[in-house]
Amino acid sequence: MIEQITEQQFSEFYDAVIIGAGNGGLVAAATLALKGAKVLLLERHNLPGGFASSFVRGRFEFETSLHELADYGPSTNKGGIRALFEDKFNLDSEFIEVPEAFRLILTDPNEGIDVVMPFGIEEFLEAIEKEVPGSKDSVKKFFDLGRDITNATAYLGATRGNPDQSVLLKEHSNFLKTTAYTVDDVQNALNIPEKARKILNAYWVYLGLPTSRVNCTIFTVMTYVYMLRKAYIPKNRSHDFTTALDAKIREFGGKIEYNTKVEKILVENGKVIGVETSNGDKIKTNHVVCNASPTLTYNKLIYPKSEVPEIAYKEINARSHAVSTFVVYMGLDASTEELGLKDYSYFIYKNMDTDELYESLNELKTPKVQATICLNSAIPDCSPPGTCILSITTAFLPGVWDNVKPEDYFKIKNKIAEELIDNFEKATGTSIKDHIEEIEIATPQTCARFTGTYNGIVYGYEPDPWDSFIPRLMSMNDEKHIEGLEFCGGFGKRCHGYSSSLKDGETAALLTLQDLIKKGELKNE
Amino acid sequence: MNGEDKKELKVKIKGGIRDLIAFAKLVPKRRKRFQRASSEPITSDPINEFANKLHPKKQHLIIDEIRDETKSTKTIKAVPDLDSGTNSLAYFRPGQYLSLKVEVNGVRITRPYSISSSPTDALKGFYEITIRKVEDGFLTTNIWDKWKVGKKITCSDPEGFFYYEPLRDKNHIVAIAGGSGIAPFRSMAKEIIETNIDVKLTLIYGSADEEDIIFYEEFKELEKTYPNKIKVVIVLSCDEVNLEGCETGFITANLIKKYIDANECSFFICGPQIMYDFVENQLKEFNLPPKRIRREAYGEVKEIINLSGFPKEVADNAFKIKVHIGSLIEEIPAKASETILVALEKANLNPPSSCRSGECGFCRSLLISGKIYVNPISDWRRAADKKFNFFHPCSSYPVSDLEIKIPRTR
Repeated sequence: MIEQITEQQFSEFYDAVIIGAGNGGLVAAATLALKGAKVLLLERHNLPGGFASSFVRGRFEFETSLHELADYGPSTNKGGIRALFEDKFNLDSEFIEVPEAFRLILTDPNEGIDVVMPFGIEEFLEAIEKEVPGSKDSVKKFFDLGRDITNATAYLGATRGNPDQSVLLKEHSNFLKTTAYTVDDVQNALNIPEKARKILNAYWVYLGLPTSRVNCTIFTVMTYVYMLRKAYIPKNRSHDFTTALDAKIREFGGKIEYNTKVEKILVENGKVIGVETSNGDKIKTNHVVCNASPTLTYNKLIYPKSEVPEIAYKEINARSHAVSTFVVYMGLDASTEELGLKDYSYFIYKNMDTDELYESLNELKTPKVQATICLNSAIPDCSPPGTCILSITTAFLPGVWDNVKPEDYFKIKNKIAEELIDNFEKATGTSIKDHIEEIEIATPQTCARFTGTYNGIVYGYEPDPWDSFIPRLMSMNDEKHIEGLEFCGGFGKRCHGYSSSLKDGETAALLTLQDLIKKGELKNE
Repeated sequence: MNGEDKKELKVKIKGGIRDLIAFAKLVPKRRKRFQRASSEPITSDPINEFANKLHPKKQHLIIDEIRDETKSTKTIKAVPDLDSGTNSLAYFRPGQYLSLKVEVNGVRITRPYSISSSPTDALKGFYEITIRKVEDGFLTTNIWDKWKVGKKITCSDPEGFFYYEPLRDKNHIVAIAGGSGIAPFRSMAKEIIETNIDVKLTLIYGSADEEDIIFYEEFKELEKTYPNKIKVVIVLSCDEVNLEGCETGFITANLIKKYIDANECSFFICGPQIMYDFVENQLKEFNLPPKRIRREAYGEVKEIINLSGFPKEVADNAFKIKVHIGSLIEEIPAKASETILVALEKANLNPPSSCRSGECGFCRSLLISGKIYVNPISDWRRAADKKFNFFHPCSSYPVSDLEIKIPRTR
């Protein structure tokens, strides 16, 4: 049996090959194609999106991973992602506003916190003042810092990473003075009362690092932007906007090939010269935008291995690989009203000792952390009448699942899923279990199966202060080891998360474009 | 940006100058960390290794034994084909299927078959599938003629969602089977006994006659040894019945009621298409919520032209499909009454497919132009796929000439 028909193979020259159709790769391909570059996007799976996808079971179509998209914003106050989707791509995909910021429930009876927090900076400040009298002023400082950092990063972007030092010092000193610090460092300095910090830091799980470690800059900006522009989700799951991007890439003249795994990025004398795939394609190109992690790329894809500089391995080994996720997807045969599910986003933690919570992600046990989404609370008709969709997400650090045997795998994942459901029921006083019509449980292994991400990791590299987005962006040029190779996505320059990955795809494309134009390979339009 | 109410905020963490120095040192310190780190390449990735073990792209097998179960049914036992690189068999959940990838008369096709052996058997090194001969069946005729011990076959990883899920299902499974639809339930029964799952399984098994019953002795033996776990009800539809203790006629609500309390059970149905229609109609009497009734995927629907909404006026037509696959563009013939997947296979384009029921999405393709009919009972497409003209060739039929883009086989 001839496995691969040679007539189907690609052998042409492309201005750029994009490896992986995740959030980053899709935007990179669309951006390059829009600018007239001849691009080929290769994806190992048979769908676009990577983690940004959906799947159907019975009467339900589940959102795979998105909880809430940051930096989209209302049409009157567009964020970067909305501007990208609507103004640049004219993307045919509808987004819906998430009703409230979050409900935070701390299950340790000594904590006594069960609050629903609104979006909007003023609204949030009012609400936190009500919960913690006297906290408003210090929390406001935190948001002001978020505003200052956002302005500073906009300035850095506008000056293309070459800021005027005196302007930085004069106008953006708050940004400069906090960038090297953690959330705890900064919140201590701002004298935010402990209880207010517990509420304010509910989003910590989206970055997957305790507040004693996570960089203040990224956390502050994330929280600020959520409050400023609110959160959005795609009306028809993430598969809708990723498929819309797929359609745009084709409309812009780009090519996409699914079920095609890149096996090798061919490098000669430190320069990209092509890629080879599992289907036998040998494609010539001088530019690769890689949605795979540096970890996977340098350890597996670069060929020959002698082209990988020692420093590339050192960089990977110095960084901390972040968490993978564990998700329980449920289609329930009762409406949100019947079940008493009023809220969209539930952060349910044992307490707010984020070190303790983080440590619980390091054991093959049910973590003390869950972030649960009731999709119908934002999109009432996302499932048939009389039903709703609930998904519980937790996370695991690398290594935790390494020694699980296939014969124990289903039992372990079911046990953890059951305890997560129990914890949700107890925390919210609702009854879910009797209503499960469809259930799927995704583990780090599932993440690996569908995306091929190194060790099933979802959150890229951990954003400690030294490896958060500012130092990553500042060292971008120094850490570029192969000419013609740009990275994008969750392991990229802006750290992980949907909006970061999407924006990073655009940046990688613009850098590639710059290079193409500089070398005369593409005309500047 | 937002210049509104910019009240002067002066943040001080450790002191003005020290904070600025900390910023200045951020990148140099980062570089130092890199310099100090190991330069060893990373060679292992246990999570991807596990994922590949549970879901290998392909499994290479050798037929180890062929048993005649009835005059029209064979069980094929297969073991790993070490020479082709398969060292162990993927573990699975009882009820899942393998998609066989076979070449019949020069045409490469896939066919899904439920695994009839247990997951524990897979750990021991074998799978069994139980196949019933289809009158004039394209593949089964070939199997009956050509498949011998020692033959090499290729199949997919275990796939499908037809399995007992303790978080969802009642711990009393009522397995309603017809014909070779018994296969997944043999796997479930064996698993319940072998790993001592806290579940009872009542098998209600419809057969045309005594000679057609598959795994009769085996199930009777299980029932005798584990009466609290396994109960077997044989239902024969023939006129003359000699078998002791069996029911006659069809699997009706009244018959079901005799053996179980429907409200305390989860129903699993697997059998020929006509049985689904009949049994589901009977089950209506119990007024069960949808979650209590699970069905195995239908497979390719027979006699598609009888389905509601099928454009009968084109039923006898033949069309042309312009197919993009990889860098190749080819024009192939297609019949209105056959799935687009079948047309692709007949043209030997080797399209990816697995469930052949519209469910798994492996064959997901792009409709560039033309009109298709999608079989509504096998339409499991995502909302966005419908919106952006993606379709599953295994459950779609051409209604005009088409232009499509299909994925290559991985």
